[in-house]
Amino acid sequence: MTKLKAWFKTIIFYEILVGMKATLSHLLHYKPITLQYPHEKRALPDNYRGMLALLRYDDGTEKCVGCDLCEAACPSRVIRVVSAEVPGEPTKRYSKEYYMDMTRCLFCGMCVDACPVDALGMTREFEWAVYDKRQLHLNKEQLLAIGDRSFPVREKRLELQHPNVAFFNVSFGHVPQKPN
Amino acid sequence: MPESKTDSVRLTIDGIPVTVPKGTLVIEAARRVGVMIPHFCYHPKLKPDANCRMCLVEVEKMPKLQTSCSTVATEGMAVRTATTVVNDAHKSVLEFILANHPLDCPVCDQGGRCDLQDFSHQYTATASRFVETKRIFQKEYFSPLIETQMNRCVQCLRCVRYCDEVMDVKALAPAGRGTMTEIKTFGTHELDCEFCGGCVQICPVGAITSRLSMYEYRPWMLKRADTVCQFCGDGCQITVQTKDNELIEVNSEYGAGRNSGDLCARGFFGFRATGHPDRLTKPLIRRNGALVETTWEEALEYTAQQIARIKNAHGAQAFGGLISGRCTNEELYLFQKFMRLAIGTNNLDSSARYGHMNGVQAMRRVQGTHRWTLSFEEIVQADVLLLVGTNVTETNPITGLKVKEAVKKRQARLFTIESIRPAIGTISNITNLVDQHVCALPTQFGGAVLALLKAVVESRLVDQRLQHESPDYVGAVTQALERLSWPELEAATGAARDTFVQMATGLAQGRRVVVLAGQELLRSAGGYGSCLLLLDLLLLTGKLTEPGCGFAPLAEENNDQGAVESGAVAELLPGGLDLANPEARARIARAWKADLPLAAGATLVEMIDRARSGLVKGMLIVGENPVGSLPTVVGAKEALQRLEFLVCQELFLTETASLAHVVLPAASSLEKAGTFTNQEGHVQAVRPAVDPIGESRPDWEILSALSVLLGTPLEYGDAKELLKEIRGVIPGYGLLGPAPIPPKVDRAAVERYLAGDYRRALAARYTLAGPADAAGGTTHLGLFQSLFHSGKLSTRSKGLLQIEAQAALRINPADAARLALADGDRVRLSNRRGEVTTTVKVLERVPEGSAWFPDHFGQDTAKLFECAIDPDTNVPAFRTASVSIAKIS
Repeated sequence: MTKLKAWFKTIIFYEILVGMKATLSHLLHYKPITLQYPHEKRALPDNYRGMLALLRYDDGTEKCVGCDLCEAACPSRVIRVVSAEVPGEPTKRYSKEYYMDMTRCLFCGMCVDACPVDALGMTREFEWAVYDKRQLHLNKEQLLAIGDRSFPVREKRLELQHPNVAFFNVSFGHVPQKPN
Repeated sequence: MPESKTDSVRLTIDGIPVTVPKGTLVIEAARRVGVMIPHFCYHPKLKPDANCRMCLVEVEKMPKLQTSCSTVATEGMAVRTATTVVNDAHKSVLEFILANHPLDCPVCDQGGRCDLQDFSHQYTATASRFVETKRIFQKEYFSPLIETQMNRCVQCLRCVRYCDEVMDVKALAPAGRGTMTEIKTFGTHELDCEFCGGCVQICPVGAITSRLSMYEYRPWMLKRADTVCQFCGDGCQITVQTKDNELIEVNSEYGAGRNSGDLCARGFFGFRATGHPDRLTKPLIRRNGALVETTWEEALEYTAQQIARIKNAHGAQAFGGLISGRCTNEELYLFQKFMRLAIGTNNLDSSARYGHMNGVQAMRRVQGTHRWTLSFEEIVQADVLLLVGTNVTETNPITGLKVKEAVKKRQARLFTIESIRPAIGTISNITNLVDQHVCALPTQFGGAVLALLKAVVESRLVDQRLQHESPDYVGAVTQALERLSWPELEAATGAARDTFVQMATGLAQGRRVVVLAGQELLRSAGGYGSCLLLLDLLLLTGKLTEPGCGFAPLAEENNDQGAVESGAVAELLPGGLDLANPEARARIARAWKADLPLAAGATLVEMIDRARSGLVKGMLIVGENPVGSLPTVVGAKEALQRLEFLVCQELFLTETASLAHVVLPAASSLEKAGTFTNQEGHVQAVRPAVDPIGESRPDWEILSALSVLLGTPLEYGDAKELLKEIRGVIPGYGLLGPAPIPPKVDRAAVERYLAGDYRRALAARYTLAGPADAAGGTTHLGLFQSLFHSGKLSTRSKGLLQIEAQAALRINPADAARLALADGDRVRLSNRRGEVTTTVKVLERVPEGSAWFPDHFGQDTAKLFECAIDPDTNVPAFRTASVSIAKIS
């Protein structure tokens, strides 16, 4: 019996009919699933890991304290930090220069995890196709600009939070300065 | 190692049996079997304090936990370090510390190599039960070099104890109680101390860090190179930490090298000198009267051409060479080989001539060695120490630490003949620790030694065997001493007879007597004679040939000893062989497979005199700066200007290099490989920490390239090959290394000396030196070495300039009051030779009637000094003068 059934299906091209049924049903109830990308954009998941950015506090000061931990955490050596003492604010640390070579970045987000002051963020930007690779070598100003446009809501300044972290990277402005 | 059962105890640590010498602490015993007990306040250099409570362990049959850093191991003890009780104790100690310790590890320079971080990872839970606000100390000032962040302090007091016990500076003290204890300086002023960096190195957390390279690095980025410090003759091992070819910091590990973790300000903060923007990066050549940049090819070819021209026209004797004692042994050796073979003259000298040769020649004459018969260990173990003209804290700080250790930890008796007054100051003062002290002028150090000898002879302290075996020698010395009267000696030295008698008795009674002769003695007029007197003193008291006793002249430049041993002085061949000795010459000629020039060579000042008279037409100067170093009266500048051709290998465009026709940029010791020999005679490896700056090359490469162009190729693949050759030429050199056995006193030499050699110039050295200088002045002006500088290199170091930026005349408070002077006032120094204006700094340790001037900065004081040449060793002595001081309003 089963043999007969199989033989019958073969001679009437049953499999093709099943396939054609799906094709024809889509032909009739046409609803495209391709996004017309530049004109239409997909809703990104909440935990989307896009372009990296440096953030600021609500009063406009940079969050980064130049601790180099992102540089240490980065598996592909994207980040280079040159840290120094804030001019005029003795014993306060900041990143004098901050570079990211985004051509190498694999968007793992380890730098964001490593940052002790949440100064790094992953934006939802992904449209970073360029004609010249060197344009992906970003400096601190560019990274801050990305942060500014992607994170309009800023955190309160760290020093004004819990007293036990109150003197984290706080300068002592009222005392004499480092002589040059 | 313990010899018998009674000297050692057996105990078990976590079940592991261990046998240790009696008196060993439990924490040290645990370390031997590889059990790490966490600790903050314990340090092997310091006395146990047991204040951090971190090292608690469980000891069987003891009711409570014990601090392993203060518990002495006893027979049959059973120690447990990893039980629940112990871990709970660790946890609670850490919780208390972390109740106040800020969590600013990301911005702390210690983060990544912090004991507290490590122990917290190991022992504590992540959450703290404390919700109270952490303590915050108010900062009063920022030190330019040593930054304190008291919020991070764990109050282990290691820094305070190190500063007191090891350095004897006592600059730090704890203030306040309990958790509010703060490490402070005495008084409200800024930290003003020796700046040895010891507190920075010993701090287990980030409470005390170096400001010099603050925030420029994280510990894991650093690349290290173990090398040897380039400043003084102590030869400290330093670890140079670099990040991307940039010098970041210097430190030294406990137990490493001759210094075992201790450094001075020069070593710790002076390293950035070599990266100064003034460094020469390209060869310079004189065109139309000005030095302009050129290529190596052109500079070397022109140099070789000129050398060949002068050699053909005037002979090899028209050429002279000078090299600095800051070059490596390989370079010193190649330099003298180059001068002797490629050029064919013995006219060569090194900076050992400025003073070290006095000590070396005296040792060669009396005890037949050209190096110490001791090492630092003997200094530490000595029971009687005599320091003559050392100013040891400032000139050789680490030797000073060995003396301090001997006196403070081992209760050695210390006698000093120095031109320092005992006084408490911002830096330690060795005369504060003395048993007997003679405060004499540098010109009268010889007189003080004479008085000591007279006391030895008169108190019948002469060694019986010597009296029996060499009555002639003892008789001659006694006779010579009889001609000196006590009132004369007392007037000259300013000390009473009784002081000398007590010193003499102490020296004669001592079992391990060590005599240290410092720069102020070696560089003074009659320094050679005074060294012989000190050796006479050791001979008469019968100490010279005793084990653990000996004479140790301290070297100022890091490789003065290496310069002597490599033969980079006119009268010596490699290995300290005499050039005049045909046998020695034949041996070196065999090793080099070439004949040596016969004519005796000119020494430093002779060469300059010959240059002035036109006998020397060309000179090669490697890293040496005679124009800046010698007093104006020698006329080095005019003499060198008369040369037809002068080539300099230099780091910076010094006074001498700016007169040169060709200047070749050389690499500093942080940029090249090789070896340095310290004053003890230890040959230690120098390793490159960074690449040579610009186009600069190591000196030996330059010399090697020149020799090829001159047709006498002395080619080597690297510095190691040169060392191999030196080892072949100098017998016994291969045995030297990190821990060589110091040579023994050569009995034959001593016998030769006692048999009659002592008679040479006996009367001259057993005479009291007359009034120093008749240049018309009331104050005795002396050039001295500052702790914070060593020469031209240190004055380019950012860190050291922050401590001491300019030269200031040091005077006694009494003199200052007499002249109505205060710190920072301008004064005019004048004598018959000229006048100079400078600023004043009042310092209590300067003896009354004296004034000290550091010899590292502007050399305008050079014109005040007379230059006396020692007839035996040709050492120029120019460090004292008499001047009048007047205030400029």
